[in-house]
Amino acid sequence: MRITAGDVAALERGVALLGSGGGGDTVTAAVLLRRLTEGGREPEVSAIGELAPDARVVPVGVVGATAAFTEKLPGGDEFAAAVAAVERWTGERADALMSIEIGGLNGLLPLVVAEQLGLAYADADLSGRGLPRLDQFSVAATGRGIAPAALAEPGGQVVVLAAGSDAVIERGTRAFLAGSGGWAAFALAPLPAGELAACAVPGTTSGALALGRRVLAAGESPGRAALEAALAGSVLARGRVLEVTRHVGPGQHGSPGFGRGSVTLADHRDGALLRLEMENEYLLALRDGAPVASTPDVLSVLDHRTGVPVSCDAIRAGVEVDVVRLAAAPFWTDPRWLPVVRPRAYGIDCDPVGLP
Amino acid sequence: MSLRRVLALPGWAAHVRLLAGAAGLDRPLATVQATLDASRAPEAGELTVVVRPVAGTDWRIDALLRRCADAGATAVLLPAAAPLTASRLLADRLAVPLLGTDASPLDLLVEARLLLAAPELDRADLLLATHRALGDRLRPPEEVVAVLRRLLRSPVAVLDDRGVPLAGEVTGRVRLDEPVPQRTELDDGVLVAHPVLLQRPALWLAAELRGTEAARADVVPPALAVAAGVLQRWLLANRLELERDARSRTALLGDLLRLDTEPGADLRRRVADAGWRLGGWHVGLHIGAPAAVDTVARTQDVVRALRAEDVEAVVVEHGDGWTGWVTFDHEPTAARVRSLATRLQAAHRTLRLGAHMGVGRPHARPDGLAATVAEARDAARLAATRPETGHFLHVDQLGMAQLLLEWTRTDTFEPAARALIAPLLDAPGDLVRTLAAYLDAESSLAETATVLGVHRNTVAARVARISQLLGVDLSRPDERLALHLASRAVTLE
Repeated sequence: MRITAGDVAALERGVALLGSGGGGDTVTAAVLLRRLTEGGREPEVSAIGELAPDARVVPVGVVGATAAFTEKLPGGDEFAAAVAAVERWTGERADALMSIEIGGLNGLLPLVVAEQLGLAYADADLSGRGLPRLDQFSVAATGRGIAPAALAEPGGQVVVLAAGSDAVIERGTRAFLAGSGGWAAFALAPLPAGELAACAVPGTTSGALALGRRVLAAGESPGRAALEAALAGSVLARGRVLEVTRHVGPGQHGSPGFGRGSVTLADHRDGALLRLEMENEYLLALRDGAPVASTPDVLSVLDHRTGVPVSCDAIRAGVEVDVVRLAAAPFWTDPRWLPVVRPRAYGIDCDPVGLP
Repeated sequence: MSLRRVLALPGWAAHVRLLAGAAGLDRPLATVQATLDASRAPEAGELTVVVRPVAGTDWRIDALLRRCADAGATAVLLPAAAPLTASRLLADRLAVPLLGTDASPLDLLVEARLLLAAPELDRADLLLATHRALGDRLRPPEEVVAVLRRLLRSPVAVLDDRGVPLAGEVTGRVRLDEPVPQRTELDDGVLVAHPVLLQRPALWLAAELRGTEAARADVVPPALAVAAGVLQRWLLANRLELERDARSRTALLGDLLRLDTEPGADLRRRVADAGWRLGGWHVGLHIGAPAAVDTVARTQDVVRALRAEDVEAVVVEHGDGWTGWVTFDHEPTAARVRSLATRLQAAHRTLRLGAHMGVGRPHARPDGLAATVAEARDAARLAATRPETGHFLHVDQLGMAQLLLEWTRTDTFEPAARALIAPLLDAPGDLVRTLAAYLDAESSLAETATVLGVHRNTVAARVARISQLLGVDLSRPDERLALHLASRAVTLE
């Protein structure tokens, strides 16, 4: 499957939906991808079964403040530096790249990087949605571990976090980002393609593209039923945002936590109050106080008029929105991996809602 | 208890604010429970007090409100929190009051709990005091009323099943047709009443709570229930005695009425023990009562009514009512008998049981007692169908012949007579009149023919037809008498 210029809009919409309100702004990454494809370079996306089993696949992506990524543009060498660092550390050559996170800008940018570096691209990622922390990656959940990991920031620094538990790598990465430009290109040690089925979420790029195509085909301001059919999900509420609050959540190890907040809207249909609890992503939906949806399912807020997903950073009172739920990737409903992404993993004392 | 009442407590009024959900202020309140966090599952009627500080932004406030609404809980009190607009809107939407305070939630909880417990404590105190005062002994209504009047500091009465006081006095009315504990609002108070049940309410216990005592209307009913139990025991014990007494008297009367020889020593002894006399002259009386009347319970009423007319009579529950008699030392004069009958009639009028009364003629000795009682019962049966005499008949005024004729006018005789004569009614020829005339003429064909104005042979043929249709032998005296009376009853109409 090749990504053509005509696919970019649909893929952007798909990865934005899967960001669940997080994952970063897709605009810059989409511009880069569009320029690439309009120049005639159409990245080839290979299903993991199409790659040689011993092909080395390096997961890459942007970590840190995605808002800073938009403000402080990449110099262009960061990803090459990060991939080179991890190659040198492990002594293995990268044959292909994959995304660390399908939701948001990381669903687009690794395609650009693979094309620029002349590497193949695997149709898989480590998240299946938008996730806030490195230690929630599928390779961490399955016990494979994320070390070693390489970071390259726009200022030129390159760091390899050679060893440590997933929590230590997460903490080290955050500390490095706080002391540098706020974001960095990130690369993990190469994974043999034959092992991806066991430790990654497969088919997510093609899935995001298909989702985006269906949603765009539904047009602007689609009816409830049309929207649900396009999403293969459900509309939890459709109405005007009444209140958005933000506060700093509980931190760990003396550092402040992620920003927390909640969004409340009144459903136009019956006046019911829908409240969303959010961190970097929308995590829990309560309808009149009763939990009706939660992570690992993907909760997205769409601008009612344009259908464009509204991120947790951007949501404001007064906007007309649709709150929707998409089913979680099957990887996360596996009882072995569920604890990594259930609400309690975010400090929300609530059982997962709506799992099959 | 309501939430409003709790909010009026001094500590609550000063320190608790209603943040939202005003529409639910009248939800009933049964209990106040503390919880450390907002994840508690509340019960119906519960005011949930969150005692550990909770952030106003916490989504669990919304979840708690929702669980309250689902469980029928009353309200939520949050300490030192400013809930989100979202939570306030939800409280309004669910009509679950959301309260906030800056004071210690535990202090508020204790204050509310004491208020909730107060009626229970008062009720328990009153119940114990009632138990202690009434104890295990049998207490007549007067004593029960005195005890309750002292404990309740209010007017108390025991009423009979017609609402007439047996003891004490209240001005309010009890709804006698509703045999359940009652509460009636009065102008300046409350009337609470409790039925004393046997098979149906036999008595009512009523208390009138006025002024400040009216506030105890919820507290008093259990005490009344206890006192009603005491009265019920008293009624049952009384009843047992009455029944036992009535049974032995009825049996003794039965033995006397069956007597066809001189009474034996044993029977005479039992009669003497009962305080009855066999010698002298007796005038029998019988009072028949409708089936609904409880004859055993009413015997004392009958004795009282007779005594009020200065009639000293033996009265025994017997058959459908009461059988009794008055004994004279010597044969009574006609004037004395008439005077007795007049007084019996007056007593009968005061009884108002829907009863009928018959009085027999004076007869001497034990066998005479059976005779006069039999006459009285016959007369009573007739009196039942004689409203024009006030359902009262005295055999002396009738004469036996008239008494017999009266039989033919009774409800029971007529249908029987009609049935007996029925085969003649449908047959051609004036058979009924012929039969009556034939029997009147003492079976003379000639006389009958003259009376009816037909030929003798015609009468003979008709009599033969009658005999054949009815299947009777007109020469037998019993059958002649029955047919004579029946034909009279039918032709007299």
